[in-house]
Amino acid sequence: METHRESVDPVADDVIKSFARAAVLAALLGATAFVSIPIPFSPVPVTLQTLFVFLAGLYLGPVWGTVSILLYLAAGAIGLPVFSGMTGGLGVLVGETGGYLWAYAIAAGVVGLIVHRGRELRDPAEEPLPILVGSLVVATLLIYAIGTGYMAWLLELELGEAIAVGVLPFIPGGVFKLVAAIAIVKSKRITQIR
Amino acid sequence: MLTYEPDETIAHRLDPRSKLAVQIGFAATALAHTSPRALIALTVVAGVVLAATRVPPLETLYAYRFALVILAIAPLVAAATLGPPWIDVERGTTSARASYRVLLILLVSAAYVRSTPVRHSRAAIQRTIPGKPGQVLGVGVALVFRFLPVLRGDLQTIREAMAARLGTERNAAERIHLVGVLALTRAFDRADRLSLALQARCFAWNPTLPPLSFSRADLPAFGVAVALLLSAFV
Repeated sequence: METHRESVDPVADDVIKSFARAAVLAALLGATAFVSIPIPFSPVPVTLQTLFVFLAGLYLGPVWGTVSILLYLAAGAIGLPVFSGMTGGLGVLVGETGGYLWAYAIAAGVVGLIVHRGRELRDPAEEPLPILVGSLVVATLLIYAIGTGYMAWLLELELGEAIAVGVLPFIPGGVFKLVAAIAIVKSKRITQIR
Repeated sequence: MLTYEPDETIAHRLDPRSKLAVQIGFAATALAHTSPRALIALTVVAGVVLAATRVPPLETLYAYRFALVILAIAPLVAAATLGPPWIDVERGTTSARASYRVLLILLVSAAYVRSTPVRHSRAAIQRTIPGKPGQVLGVGVALVFRFLPVLRGDLQTIREAMAARLGTERNAAERIHLVGVLALTRAFDRADRLSLALQARCFAWNPTLPPLSFSRADLPAFGVAVALLLSAFV
């Protein structure tokens, strides 16, 4: 009888911890697809996705934060109902909201880079407020710019028209989520990986 | 909701990798063309794919209803102009054609979702992407699949608990903060227990995968994929 021999290549402990958090956060990002909170003065209810994109960068750092979002995108691409409206499929990633979704990965990476400034994870609660706010503002602008730019190209809209469809309705929600992300970090209720 | 359903169609028997190739080819050519002739051809291809997978068209359209709203609004926004003549029909139709191809891409990807179980997709990812990135992506996707219902349950519990304590009367910023902090605490607790369990079971970079094999039926599927991909450059 033929035997198959292969040596086991175990994963390092610190990698397992970060990887498990990245995977579970990706699932959480998917689970929020069905939660929406109505906000005043806006026809569009808030979904919590960008909040957890921010938190991925803040708590997992540039590498694992980006990995977490990529896992979310991959899970959606193979058909898990993780995108808004509980949809999935590769088509969504190239569809009209695809730009926003890809921008999430970049945004989480950028937040991680600004806050942690390297692969060594810091506790975001210890960071000065301007750095936290600055990183989240940059991330939000990136998401809107890439998402709206792609939507304008795909649907053959002028930039102003795309902004009217893809940015203006979401600005109030965006502000709420930015404030909430800072409040979560400053509440110090989430512990960093040691 | 759009999800995998066991069936006996040709698409269900195909290797997930050839189905992914067909989708990528279709999306590439649809993104490259918006002429009426190309759209007719794409519609025919999409129709064949949907029929071969027995995708129920109306249910699928309903599943993508939120995406369809934007696709329907975009041509109207494009057509509307400030000042006379108020409605620019040509710009509207250009945008409508662009929106229509996105709808076709969504429908074709729905065919993949209906015909491919998650464990096959996972094996396809791990076999196609070499080395550790492929492993991280494959195992990660499997974990997302496993934890999605659990975390959805967590979120539901948090929201019900908040509603029971009149949390729904609080302002939006406070509610978002509360849901966020509670959901993340619970999720990271679960992640830390998961990492302990993975360590205890000697989590390795080279686990055993379910077998995948190309069959004779995959050959034409790959042919179609290549033809679609090349047509993007025509």
